Order: sequence, then C-alpha cells, then structure tokens
Amino acid sequence: MPRRAIAIAAVVLAAAGLAGCGGGNGGVVVYTSVTQDTVDLLVSGFTGRNPDTTVDVFRAPTGEIAARIAAEVREGGLQADVLWLTDPLSMQQYEADGLLQTWDPAGAEGIPEAFRTPASWGTRVLNLVIVHRPGLEPAIRTWDDLVRAAGEGGVALPDPGFAGSAFAALGYFALTDGYGMDFYRRLHDAGAVQVAAPGDVVTGVAEGQYAAGITLDFTARTALDKGSPITIVWPDPGAIALHSPIATAKDAGGDGAAFVQYVLSEEGQSLVASSGWQPARPDVPWEVGGPQVTLDWRLAFDRQEELLGEYRAIFGG
Amino acid sequence: MSTGRSSGADPAARRGRAAGLAVVVAALAAVVVFPLFDLLRSAGEAIGDGGVAALRSGGGEAVANSLWTSATATTVAVVVGVGGALLSERVGGRFTGALRVGMVLPLLVPPFVTALGWTRAYGPGGLLDDVAGVTLPGLSGGLGIVAATAAHVAPLVYLVTAAALSTRARPELEWAARASGAGPVGAFRRITLPLLAPAIGGGAALAFVASMNSFGIPAVLGIPAGFPTITTRIFQDLARSASNAAFARVVLLATVLLALVAVVVAATDVATRRADPIRPGASHEPARPPASRAPWARGLAWAYLGFTAGIPVLALALTGLTRAVGLPPSPDNWTLANYAEALRGDFVGPALRTLLLAAAAATAATALGLLLAAVSRRGASRGLATAATLTFAVPGSALAVAVLLAYGPWLRDTLTIILIAYLAKFWALGHRSAVGSIGSIDPDLLRAARASGAGPVTAARRVLLPLLRPAIGAAWLLVFLFGLHELTMSSLLYGPGTATLAVVTLNVQQLGDVTVTAALASILTLPGFVAAIPLLRRRNGRFG
Amino acid sequence: MSPPALRVSDLSVSYGKAAILQQVSVEAGPGEVLALLGPSGSGKTTLLFAVAGFVALDTGTIEIGGTTVAGPGTHLPPERRDAAVVFQSYALWPHLSALETVAFPLRAAGERPEAARAEAARLLDAVGIGPLAGRRPAELSGGQQQRVGLARALARRAGLYLFDEPTAHLDAATREAIQAEIATRRAESGAAAVYATHDAGEALAVADRVALLRDGRIVQAGDPAEVYERPTDRWAAAITGPVSILTVHREDGNVLVGGVRSAASVPGGAEGSVTVAVRPDWAALGGDLPARVAAAWFRGPHSDVVLDTPAGRLSLRVEGRAGVRPGDPAGWSLHRVWPLPD
Repeated sequence: MPRRAIAIAAVVLAAAGLAGCGGGNGGVVVYTSVTQDTVDLLVSGFTGRNPDTTVDVFRAPTGEIAARIAAEVREGGLQADVLWLTDPLSMQQYEADGLLQTWDPAGAEGIPEAFRTPASWGTRVLNLVIVHRPGLEPAIRTWDDLVRAAGEGGVALPDPGFAGSAFAALGYFALTDGYGMDFYRRLHDAGAVQVAAPGDVVTGVAEGQYAAGITLDFTARTALDKGSPITIVWPDPGAIALHSPIATAKDAGGDGAAFVQYVLSEEGQSLVASSGWQPARPDVPWEVGGPQVTLDWRLAFDRQEELLGEYRAIFGG
Repeated sequence: MSTGRSSGADPAARRGRAAGLAVVVAALAAVVVFPLFDLLRSAGEAIGDGGVAALRSGGGEAVANSLWTSATATTVAVVVGVGGALLSERVGGRFTGALRVGMVLPLLVPPFVTALGWTRAYGPGGLLDDVAGVTLPGLSGGLGIVAATAAHVAPLVYLVTAAALSTRARPELEWAARASGAGPVGAFRRITLPLLAPAIGGGAALAFVASMNSFGIPAVLGIPAGFPTITTRIFQDLARSASNAAFARVVLLATVLLALVAVVVAATDVATRRADPIRPGASHEPARPPASRAPWARGLAWAYLGFTAGIPVLALALTGLTRAVGLPPSPDNWTLANYAEALRGDFVGPALRTLLLAAAAATAATALGLLLAAVSRRGASRGLATAATLTFAVPGSALAVAVLLAYGPWLRDTLTIILIAYLAKFWALGHRSAVGSIGSIDPDLLRAARASGAGPVTAARRVLLPLLRPAIGAAWLLVFLFGLHELTMSSLLYGPGTATLAVVTLNVQQLGDVTVTAALASILTLPGFVAAIPLLRRRNGRFG
Repeated sequence: MSPPALRVSDLSVSYGKAAILQQVSVEAGPGEVLALLGPSGSGKTTLLFAVAGFVALDTGTIEIGGTTVAGPGTHLPPERRDAAVVFQSYALWPHLSALETVAFPLRAAGERPEAARAEAARLLDAVGIGPLAGRRPAELSGGQQQRVGLARALARRAGLYLFDEPTAHLDAATREAIQAEIATRRAESGAAAVYATHDAGEALAVADRVALLRDGRIVQAGDPAEVYERPTDRWAAAITGPVSILTVHREDGNVLVGGVRSAASVPGGAEGSVTVAVRPDWAALGGDLPARVAAAWFRGPHSDVVLDTPAGRLSLRVEGRAGVRPGDPAGWSLHRVWPLPD
C-alpha cells in the first residue's frame, strides 16, 4: 500500500535526521558566551579562510557554560576545543584545573597584561558604565553618586553569579581603596536592588523602574540607538574594563588552535571592532569612550569565594 | 468489553497480542522504568554523600514555595473551572460554544509565554502601566505565580467538570429533583454537587500536579524575584551551576518532587475509585431552559478570559513591535526590526528542530498509545496502562533529570534524548485517547469483520483504524502542540545544536532583551493557534 | 364544573431555528388520562417537559388545575407546579438509595426526615419493591428502577402525573407489570395523567383521551374508540393500531371487492373507487370475497393471516391455528370499513 510505504519512509528519514542532528563531530567545537553577532562574524570569517573546517558553536549564558563544562568533566572529558568566555574568573579556574593549553599565539604579544594569562587571551574589552534616567538631577558623575541615586530613585545592579561582567564590578570595588565591600553595603542600605543580567538593568531604567544602574556600555548603547529613553555616563575615575578571554582546550587539535589564532589576528580583531566591541589588541583602531580602570584579576580569582560570600551576605540570593 | 483481537481464543490474534505486548513492555522499560530507577539510585547515592545538607541549604525554600503556590493555585483553579463549567453547561445561551472554546484556550498557549505576556501586560513598564499607570502588585513572586498558574491549569478542572455535567451529573437528574419539589439551589446542593464531587476531586488533583510540575511560569515570574520553586531550583542548579553540591541537590529535589506528585495521584485514585458506575440513559436533545438567569455571568467569563489570555498576548505582540525598551507601544514606535532580529538570529535551526521533535513525539506517542490500548484490555496487562498513564503526572523536571542520568553517557546533546523524554511524558496522552475511542467502538463491528473472513490484523486495519482516525488525529495534534511549546525538559536536556525554539526564547529572555524576547514569544504562540483550530472545532460540540 | 386538570392552548416551542411544537392544544379533564401517541421525534417529550416546566414556551399558555403555570409573562418553575414526572430513562440519582430517592419529594415538601422515610418505605411497598429500599440504582433492574421512579412521583402527591414513555426500555413482561402498577396507583389517587407513548396498544389501554402527535402538531384527538375506529387519515390509521389500506368499489352505499358484494357499507352514493381502512377484526376468513393466502403466522392464542385480495393486501386475525397455507385460495368476508381521504 503506497500510503504505508510513505509513512515508513517518513519515519526512517526522521530517525536518521534525529540521529544525525546531534552536536557536532569533526571540525572545531566552540563553547562561548559571547554575543551571537560577534561569534557569527568571526566564525564566517574563519571558515572563509579555512573552507574545509566546520565550526560548531554552543552559545549560552556564562552560568550555563560553566554547568556544561562541569558536567562534561564529571562524565569523562571536555568536549569543546575552544572556550571563548566573557568571564575571566572561570577561565582562570579552568587553567588552574589543567583543562587548557599553554602556548603562544602570534599577534597576542601586544595584548595588555591585565587581559591575559599564559593560557588565555582577551579578545575584546567590555566596559561597565552607569546608565540613568534622562534628566536626572543632580547629575551622576562618579561611582559614589550611585549611592545617592539609590536612595532617591532606586538603583539596579547585575548579579555577579549570573553574568561574568557583573563580577568584574564586584572585583574592582571590593579590592580598590575607597570602595571595598562597604560600597555595596551602602548601596544596599540605600535601597539598591539586584537584577539578573546587565540587559535587565537597561530595561529597568528605560521603563522607569529605577533611576540608575550598572550595565555594559555596549548593551546600553544598543538600546539608546534604538530610541530607549536613557543616558549613559562613563563615571570617574573610569569605566570598569573587563575582557572576554579565549583559550584552547588541552586535547584540542590544530584546528582549535587555528581558530583561536584567527580571533586574535589583526583580521579577527578588526571584525570584533566592526561588530561594535573594543578589540583587545591595541594596534587595531578603536575610539575609547572615556577613561578606563582595570582590576587585578589574579587577586580577584584567589579571593572570589570570599568576595562572593560577602556579597551574598549583603544582597542575598 | 473486548475487541476481537484480544479475545484470546484465536491463535493468530494471540501471537499478535504477545508481540505487541513485548514491544510495549520494552518501550515502557526503556523510556520510563529505567530512567526513574536510575534517578532513585542516584538519589540514594546523593543522600549517602551528604546531599541532604545541600538539599536543606538550597532546597527547603523551593519545596515550601512549590507547595503553597500549587495549593493556592489549585484552589483558585477549582473555583474558576467549576464556575466556568456550570456557566457553559447549565446556564447556556447563545455564546456557549465560544465560551467552551475560550475556557480551554489557555491550555494551548505555552505557559512560559503566558507568564511573559502577563509581565508585559501588567508588570512595571507594561501595557497597563503605559495606559493607566497601574501595575499588579506582587506579579514578580509568589502571588504572580499563583495567579498565572491558576489561569493555566483552570482549563483542566473545567474540562473534567464539564464532562461530568453531561455524563454523571446529567441535567435530567436535576430536573427530576425540581419536579420532585426542590428549588434550584436545593437541587444543585443535594443532587448535582454530590454527583460532581469525584470529578471535581479528580480535576483538582490534575491541577495540583500540573502546578507542581510547572516550570515556565516560575521561571519568568519567580527567578527575577529570587523566589525559587522546585522546578526552577532544579533548572538553576543543573544548568547554571558547576558545583557538586548543586548536582546532588538536583537529584534529590527531582526525587522529592516525584514523591510529592505520586502521593497526590495515588490518594486521588483511591478516593475516586468508589464513584458509582454510570447507567446510560436515553439522551435527548438539550431542551432550552427558561430564559438565561445570569447575563452578568457571561460578561464575567469574557472579562476573565480577556484578563488571563487576551490582554497578555496582545501586550506581548505590542512589545515585539516596539522599537526600543522603555518607549510606549504606540504606532509611531512600531517596527519590525525585533522580529527581523529574532528571525535572523538562532531561529531557523531551532524552529525546524522543534517541528521535527514535536512531530516525531506525536507520531511515536499516538502509535505506542494505540498499541498499549490494544494489548492491555484485560488481566495483568492493565497495570501497564496505569503505569503509562502515570508518566504524564511525573514532573518534567524529574523525568528530564532521570533520562539524563540514564542515557546521558551515550545520548547527551542529541535530539534523541529529548525525544525519549517527550515520549515518556506524552505517551499517556496518546494512550488516553486511544482507550477512550476504542472503548466507544461496538465490539460487534470487529466480530462482523472476522465473520466476513478478515484476519485479526486486516480487521483492525480496515475497521478499527478508520473509526479511530478522528480521535487519533486529535491526539496527534494535541501531542504535537505540547511538544512544540515544551520547555521544562528541553531546557535541561539540550546541548550544542539541539536547542528548541522555546529554549532559545528562554535564553534570550534570561539575557534581558525584552523586545526580541517578546517577538520570539509571539512567534511561538502562532502554531498553537493555527493547530488549535481543528481541535477546537471538535470541542464546540457537547462533552461526554 | 371543576376546571380541566390540564389545558394546553396554542403551544409553540422551538429550539434554535427548529420548531418542535406548533400550535398544540390539548386538554385532560379532572381525573382523566390523556395519551400522547406519536413516533419518536414527534414532540411528545417536549410537550411533557413544557408542562413540567423544564422548557420555555415561544407562545401559548399552559394551565394545570385551573392555574396558569406558563404563558405570556408567566413561567412557574417546576417545583411550584402541581405536577410529578416519571422519566423514560428513570432519572434516578446514582448516589441515593431507593428509600432516600422516594423520600426526596417528601423532604422537599417540608416533612421531617423520619416521617418522610416512613412514608417512602410505604410507597415502595405499595409498588412492590419494599425489600429493595436500601439499594442504589446500579443494583436494581430496569423494571425495579422504574418502580422507584413511580414511587418518587407518587410521593409528590400531585394533581397531574406526566409519564414520558415509562415502559420504553422494559421487556414485555415488565412492561405489563408497570402498566398495571400505574393504573392501580392512579385509580387510587384519582389524579389526572398525561401518558406519552409510541405504542398504540398501550395508549388505547390506559387512556381516556388519545391525542395523535405528528411533527409537533396534533393530528387527531378523541377517545380511544374514536381514534381506533374513525382515524382522520392514513397516518392516523397506521399509528393507532394494525390496519390494512384497501381500495374497494362503492355502489349504492355497498362495498364491493372483486365484483362481489360484501357486508360492509360506506356512506356517499357516488359510484367509484374508495380508499378505506380495515382493522384486522373487521374482516374474517370464510365468505364469498376472493383472495389468495400470502402468509400465515401462528402467534399462539391467534394467527395473523395475510391475504392478497383484489382490493389490496389485507391482514386479518383468526383464533387458534389458521388452517390455511400460503398459496391457498381463501374466501373471506368484510363487515366494516372506514373511508379515508385521498
């Protein structure tokens, strides 16, 4: 009966499709929490240069990548060839765990010390800035002004446990004189609220829920360009700069290293710039939006449990 | 009542039945028994490894939250569901058909999307806020979860009660009471209500279980407010955390959830088994009751539906059209850029995958459900049917964790593992409808085919299947829809290259991009509405 | 003169666009039984339900015992009408025992629980199922259930009883028993009744008046003998009992079959063909009229013989065995006919 034959064929095809449609095999497997647009750009640039290599990308928020890597390590081995994260802390942890390859990609020499380790290198620089409601009086000029704004209209902070960028703020304030964990205590007492992602801060401020908040410059600028009613401030002494590190897994083949090499090359970094992010390599042209400050990532890494613990004691969660 | 196939006296039929039984047992073992067994074993190990401390530190609040929000939502859902059923089946009127459809509609919208719609409609910065400067207090947190969950599970109570009003608590019985001198209230209290009690109890159990198992609503309304439930705690620990303590907690929480639900299901089963058997009577066309007593009641019903489904979906669509977050959704701020961005991003792959998964799950579930119904009509194999039915009640979170533990080492990050979880969950839907429709077929029809010279398989194929086709078709569609917007299990089981559309939407939502999330969510609602039309046209008739 | 137990005037009921009853007018005098005779779908149940108060009217009025219970601007709910109902499908409450079921109307009327239960037990005894008082409907046979339904209606102590095909689902023996029961109880109480049925024999047996209902209209109403012996048309003739439709020849008021004069006569003088109804007991085997036997069925106490006659096919009844076989020629006689309009 022809109808039965069609049905059987359909089932077989579907089964084949299902079996085949599992993760990637062969080529390069990249785990990343970097913005989709940027990743797509770099991947197509790489495959343009290396047409015989396939690149499979798993893109998820920082916490999810971390859970996935932990599960894979628990079950017998990291599946990824390349880790491209937005959280320098996790990367240092993987390095300490011996999951990464130590080597010297060409062109990475120029990347600033603050943005590299022997096994990982920054690919782009993110800046944490202040976003606030337009026409806020008196104007916010420094990080300290946030405490006042919290009392007057509410302030939103991104969750350091959720987004790697948010931890950069925690690391900077906790380890810098003049702020310390006391800064967070004052913010909390003044009524600051923790939300999940930097994007939520922009949403909350744009919709009038909060007067101000800490968020990523890129996220805020995108919303502003679309027309959201917000104002961006690069506060004194500077925006908190953090990098998105990339690394090669220990057991990765040459293709993985090639991909990392490409991202750190001049062409790769130009693509990063073209997608709207500040490239890590200073020799690729870029206009910085203002003064920047960095933190000691190694110190932050050593003390991360303690810092997170103190933070949780203040803000819960 | 037996079909010719399982009469047992016929060797060909007996062989066929044995083969079918073998397939069913194997599938049941693979898809349900093995994973659940593995879960319990891991739970035992976790307890031995000090998992109880981890459970208490991070899970106690989640368990308490799940219990009280589910209990409250169930109570509200019972009131709404029973009220709606009385309205559509007793008060009647011109809009009864539309009311029946409307009461069931919330089941067809993914709960995750419903919750998103509620925040965009009634939350800060939402539609109500823009139009009237008013927001619903407590939307983010326990109260919001209760309200949204109640709206989502009320249709379950409604369906069960409406069916009972046609079969067990028939209108005729209330008329007999009226003709015996009782007034409308007395007749309702002494006749209709006692007869409805088992159905209401069953509906309440269904609603409670569905509330406990719900993930999408607490994910949207609970996580941002730091209000954990068991299902979101499992999600956060499994998908967002790398620590071993978190993993132990996942296993134990999944087991706790499973145990709680099992207790409720068992208790309800025992309590409702005593219900009196139904004597079929002559069915008349419903005579027209005296003029509708409560025109205000219908208005109330429409207001309820607008509030719980109409406005949120509208708000979602409007947000998807809005140029940037923070701008009011007026026409001069409209743009298709969000939809373009949604479609341009990780969309086509997940969409195709979602369709494939849902179709495969629907086909497998209805086929296996039919097989199970055919082979388990008598004797010990009836236990199989019960086992399959119970899997629908098993919490998606627990099932996903169980499947992951059982098949993770081989099938992690494939679509197959997600399909296994879907099959385990939706098998019961295919089986339920098969049982219902097989039961309604006169066994003499099959006997006539055998007496006319057809073998058991031919008789089944040429007589049984065509008669069953409408019900099977409806079941397929139902499982397909549920598969399309399934989030609880796929959010825990997906990997590189196997994200479904619902998972993609969840990820975008978690990153805080409100407008693109709204665009994606609106797109997610479409297949529900489109596929729902044939389903609902059947529902327009009477129940029971 | 006391008012009629039931008067229905110009009643019309429709369901959506479909008209179920059209301009129906019937009456039942005090203590009378009115039978509604008609096929399924003719509107009998709807008429009964309208009288009971379950169904709203489009136009018309209903008076029970002189009280207007339904009409323009009036609609008394069922519990306030002086009527009791016995349902075709028994409509027993699954969760109540027979005793509680029969006690229900008594409680509704305000009696104390013990008194109600005692009276209910007495009623169940009266209808012959006293020992089954503690059983639920699922544990009773069809006949027993209908007796419970009857006892429940009796407990209402109404002036008008409405029976909706009460024996429809029962086997022949039980049917007779229930009919007898109903007749006895009704005679005791002296109440009037409306009895809906599709069975001609049942209608003729129980009724004081018979109304024929077809597609929502009354075709004929009269006492049983009238509708049986003088039906208004072919349809009425067929619905009121076994009948044969013959085409005979009229000459000078006499009826001729195959050229032979019969003992029957028919009014009107014009010579020519006339269509007549012939009941089985209006003809007999043996006589001058020619015919050939088409079939003979032995029924026990009597036999039905079907004859092929020049006037058409005729079915008649003989006592005991017929004594003829199909194919035999047979003479027969005809002593009565009733002319039908064409």
